[in-house]
Amino acid sequence: MVRLSQLLVAFACLALSPPLWADGNGPVFGYSTATLGVGDIGVGTDVMWRGGVAMLAPEFTFGWKPNLQLSISAPFHLDHGDHPTGRFMAFSPGDPQVEALLGWRFFHSSSGIGTRNEATVYAGVSALTQDVPRADGPPLQRQPGTYGALAAGHVTRRYDVWIGGGYQHYFRWTSNVVDHQSDSLLSSLVLGWRPSFLNKDSPKPDVRFFWETTAEKVGLAQRGLSPASGGGHDHDGPPPSPDANGIVTLPNSGGTGVFSGPTFLMTYKNVALQGGILLPLLDQPNGIQTHERIRAAGGFTYYFLGRRK
Amino acid sequence: MTIRFCAILTGLGLLALLIDAQPARGEYLRIDIDVYGMDCGLCARGVAAYVGRMHGVKSVDVSLKKGLLQIVLEPGNTLKMADLRKRIRDNGFRSTDAKVTAKGEFDGARFVVSGCGDSYKLQKAESPGTVELTFAIPTAE
Repeated sequence: MVRLSQLLVAFACLALSPPLWADGNGPVFGYSTATLGVGDIGVGTDVMWRGGVAMLAPEFTFGWKPNLQLSISAPFHLDHGDHPTGRFMAFSPGDPQVEALLGWRFFHSSSGIGTRNEATVYAGVSALTQDVPRADGPPLQRQPGTYGALAAGHVTRRYDVWIGGGYQHYFRWTSNVVDHQSDSLLSSLVLGWRPSFLNKDSPKPDVRFFWETTAEKVGLAQRGLSPASGGGHDHDGPPPSPDANGIVTLPNSGGTGVFSGPTFLMTYKNVALQGGILLPLLDQPNGIQTHERIRAAGGFTYYFLGRRK
Repeated sequence: MTIRFCAILTGLGLLALLIDAQPARGEYLRIDIDVYGMDCGLCARGVAAYVGRMHGVKSVDVSLKKGLLQIVLEPGNTLKMADLRKRIRDNGFRSTDAKVTAKGEFDGARFVVSGCGDSYKLQKAESPGTVELTFAIPTAE
């Protein structure tokens, strides 16, 4: 469980960190399109809480071209509990790693006052930064991964609709390491709403509420039976049998889940605050992993806007 | 001594006349431009900041509800409408109709903002010459 000192560290990091990033459209967990203008920079951090484990996720985003956006995020553990695997947020890895993500807004149509239709494709690479504790043995020797995603949305001053999906894949790039972290598929549907009484003109605070639903499928992890890996023992029962190559598919890894819940985004001047929770509609781990009762995330963000001359 | 002083005064007077006789420089004074696609406070702030950094822009006000940028320009600016529209496009939005107030040369059918080279076909009852006009520019121009 998260200790008080760790929460204090998290909030201290939030308070002391340099101005932070956010994506301008607001979904906390789900997919949205790239929105930063040319030369705009966002720096930020999110606190993510899931299955009793907290992570802090510093993020940096840069508007490279009118329709090209680069973001880097590097979530890390705040404790060392048994950690659920798999991606559960569209724009931040679910495990400790650094990820660079390039978004290309390949379709864009501004059809009226405050109204846009757009779509973005994302491609990213990631590398391990911290070991992920596992209840069924030592941490996996993880390899770099790739991430691809697609998001599309319809945005108005009154409501937003976003849909998207992405796939995270991990390689086996090193020949003597056969451990393999679970690949994961994540999709989302986000409905946004700005109530009439909050539909204020700039520069008053802009507040929006979202109902976000994510669906995920996380694959099975694999472990090599090398002395370094320590084998593939299990919590209960006999260890699973290795295949002909000496690789054990870990039974207590992966699963299927659908989570849904409310989130919000508030922006004022160059600052954005966002947060929300997701509750399980379906949570079917493949093994004896702990069920997740709630997922939560919150972030403080700051934009450097209109910097380019 | 007196003759030399008079010559200097005459020279200065001629110089002043020469400067005054130069044609007035055309320029935009104010631009109100509709912008489609701005849906959030940060969007508006971003595009206003980016446009506000253009050379010759004095101030920018933005209305999310109206989808409107109101730009006041400094004297002597050379801002072109195409550059302004590009800035808006770079922020991911689309500029549409504009209403501008500009000083320029009008020949009865065409108005030229000489400082930046922009020109427009206009049907106005103004006399030809250097005039200050307010007119609408549809999206296509």
